[in-house]
Amino acid sequence: MTTRRSFLAFALTVAVLSLVAPSTARPDGPLPVVATFSILGDVLERVGGEHVAVTTLVGPNGDTHVYEPTPSDARAVRGAALLMTNGLEFEGWIDRLVDVAEFDGERVVATDGIEPIVPNEDAHHDGEENHDGDAHDDGENRDGDAHAEGRDATAADEHTERAGDEHGHGAFDPHAWHDPELVAVYADNVADALAEIDPDNASDYRNNLAAYHAELAVLDSEIEAMMAALPENRRIVVTSHDAFGYFGRAYGLTFEAPRGLSTEDEASATDVAVLIRQIRERNLPAVFIESIGDRRLLDQIARETGAVIGGTLYTGALSEPGGPAGTYLDMMRHNATTLRRALGPNQ
Amino acid sequence: MTTALAFRDLSLGYRRHRAVHRLEAEIATGSLTAVVGPNGAGKSTLLKGVVGALSPLEGHVSFDAVKREDVAYLPQRSTIERDFPLSVLELVAMGLWREIGPFGRVGRATRPRLAEAISAVGLDGLEARPIGSLSGGQVQRALFARLLLQDARLVLLDEPFTAIDARTVADLIGVVRRWHAEGRAVLAVLHDIEAVRAHFPRTLLLARELVAHGPTADVLTAANRFRAHQMCEACAGPPHTCGGDTA
Amino acid sequence: MIWNAVVQPFVEFGFMRRALLGGVAISLGATPVGVFLMLRRMSLTGDAMAHAILPGAAVGYLVAGLSLGAMTVGGLVAGMTVALLSGFVTRVTRSGEDTSLAAFYLISLALGVLIVSTRGSNVDLMHVLFGTVLALDDAALALLCVIASLSLVTLALLFRPLVLECADPEFLRSVSGLSAVTHFGFLALIVLNLVGGFHALGTLMAVGIMILPAAAARFWVEGIGGLVTVAVAIAMLASLCGLLLSYHFDLPSGPAIILAAGFVYGVSLSIGPAGGLLSQALSHRRLEA
Repeated sequence: MTTRRSFLAFALTVAVLSLVAPSTARPDGPLPVVATFSILGDVLERVGGEHVAVTTLVGPNGDTHVYEPTPSDARAVRGAALLMTNGLEFEGWIDRLVDVAEFDGERVVATDGIEPIVPNEDAHHDGEENHDGDAHDDGENRDGDAHAEGRDATAADEHTERAGDEHGHGAFDPHAWHDPELVAVYADNVADALAEIDPDNASDYRNNLAAYHAELAVLDSEIEAMMAALPENRRIVVTSHDAFGYFGRAYGLTFEAPRGLSTEDEASATDVAVLIRQIRERNLPAVFIESIGDRRLLDQIARETGAVIGGTLYTGALSEPGGPAGTYLDMMRHNATTLRRALGPNQ
Repeated sequence: MTTALAFRDLSLGYRRHRAVHRLEAEIATGSLTAVVGPNGAGKSTLLKGVVGALSPLEGHVSFDAVKREDVAYLPQRSTIERDFPLSVLELVAMGLWREIGPFGRVGRATRPRLAEAISAVGLDGLEARPIGSLSGGQVQRALFARLLLQDARLVLLDEPFTAIDARTVADLIGVVRRWHAEGRAVLAVLHDIEAVRAHFPRTLLLARELVAHGPTADVLTAANRFRAHQMCEACAGPPHTCGGDTA
Repeated sequence: MIWNAVVQPFVEFGFMRRALLGGVAISLGATPVGVFLMLRRMSLTGDAMAHAILPGAAVGYLVAGLSLGAMTVGGLVAGMTVALLSGFVTRVTRSGEDTSLAAFYLISLALGVLIVSTRGSNVDLMHVLFGTVLALDDAALALLCVIASLSLVTLALLFRPLVLECADPEFLRSVSGLSAVTHFGFLALIVLNLVGGFHALGTLMAVGIMILPAAAARFWVEGIGGLVTVAVAIAMLASLCGLLLSYHFDLPSGPAIILAAGFVYGVSLSIGPAGGLLSQALSHRRLEA
């Protein structure tokens, strides 16, 4: 069962449904809006407040890179007045979904207006030789196949070969949400869009936006203070996912995440060896696992180097509500605190 | 005469097709009996019923002087995997399973018997050959050697000489006669009527139902054989439409 | 120079040593099973069983997270269920062994995918199920060694019945009641080794280390004892070379090992004295000349 076939299957479903179901007239009450994943959903909720009913496609602890949309997602998108995506090729599957669902609402790309980071294309991150045949379309990850091929174990061929590792292999690093200043831009874009499609409540949106801006500013200075306390030689973080470029840029840390430890690729011995050598040479104190994906390799590295598993970082999803990273602000605080505790001078 | 085994009102078959219908007959200990009949007469099925590969639809097989475990069986098409890396010696040694069990070794007591069996079927010198390199006749010899080692009181042979060269047939008939001389009962399904007349004192003529059973000369009359053919043709349908009683 | 290339990586890095040990353990456990699989013409069964156990391991993960115990038990249960059901159906109906196995492993696989999807977790489960030999922790390594020991002991015990069951199953059935025990014992060994293998190599690579060395060994020796010995040696060699390739050329470890085994297979196929292409061509020439 390839992604293409499953897409076709629910495309047919939706087509049939569209013939049968009544057209979705705008009901009174909250505006139905859709965000692609939990972090965006949180922002959307803060800005939209009681005027919106938010549906999030990729839920808490979900991995947006390899997500496969379901028919109910198509239904949600179809009936939505606004769709919020991250952009920067984070959700390679979204354009297909939008087409199939015949979405005709307002599309907000959260990263509009942001200056993105171009990831470092060194030998480590270039994983071409790892991928089977026509692995990934570099710039354009519109092909949903590329992602889901990795997830598709029933095709009895490539399993550990993930076709098309999106982030890091796309042109830009999409994880802009790790910088609160950029999330302020996210919120701006959303507020503008909401005001446009729902002018009656425009003032409420502006007020919510202002409140959120304030909270983001507080968050930003908090994190800055925490990170500033880190000694110079302890500002290197080893983690399994190359997602913290923006955090690093904002707060002066370096993040090391060799290929092979992410959710897509399979590790080579070279990766592991190089990382171990680095940790030993630079005496790095801790490695960090992330909430998505496999920690076993990091455990192995920690064991061998004596580095500590510093904790879990949330890279691309919130935790369940009530968990340590139930909202965006909580998530950022959690990440920062975890880093501070493991890397700080009194360790 | 003591009965080795008896067929008591035995019916055997597959699903809706009855291959053997209400057979009533006794096989004496030490007898050498050929089972003959037209195609589709149920001969192979009968042997399978003895060995337990098929459960009776009606009636039963009664083991009297011979115990159920004391039967050696050579199926029509051997299920031997010819590509399997087995030597002739190893194949023949399988016959000792009952004695030495799954963990036993071929020891001082059994080794001479092994050699003797191989010799008896004319395979001296070929012990180390892989079975994949043997001709059809040689494989059959090896299988007979295995039967020899099984040392059973009743030997069942299902068309053992089909597509085998004449020389081998002659040699293997010698083995059959040896069994007879040793007082073992032999029941062999055969197609070659001349061979039956020449070597088998008793015959059981089967056409789904019993046509005749007894000394070969009495059984293999033209009349009996004709009746057998008729019965088999008539019995294209369910058995109870088959004409009347047997014999 | 050689030292640097071959030995030094293992001296310097603990994870390389563990990976090698894991590879050796798998070679000892899975490869002999693979020899029998090959001789029984059941090579593709290995692949089918690998698919059958995946859902069990996936369910284990959903229940208890990345727990070795849960995923192992889950995989075992799924694998044995499929094996038993398909064996039962084969014996009781007209279905061939290949058809019933295909039917049940496909059902199992579909069930697994369904269960995982409806639980709503979007974590790339399949990735989680594919371990890597570079990440073997103590528990996983211990599991592999236990499985290897268990396999070897079982094979030694069941050796003669297994040979008989491969070579002449009807005969075995007629002389012994062990036929069923042997058959299912063998299937259990397959499942056990695949479950162990997926922690280290990922399930489908685990099939590779089962089958490829056995297939290669066939071109060198004839007798069973020889086959097992040569196959195990090839498997260990492939583990070593694969790890070194992964280390020196930045290749993922699992596929590197399997491709190393594949390379040996290719060489064996070409120049192996027992039925290899070259030897066939030469003997042809001799016959004609």
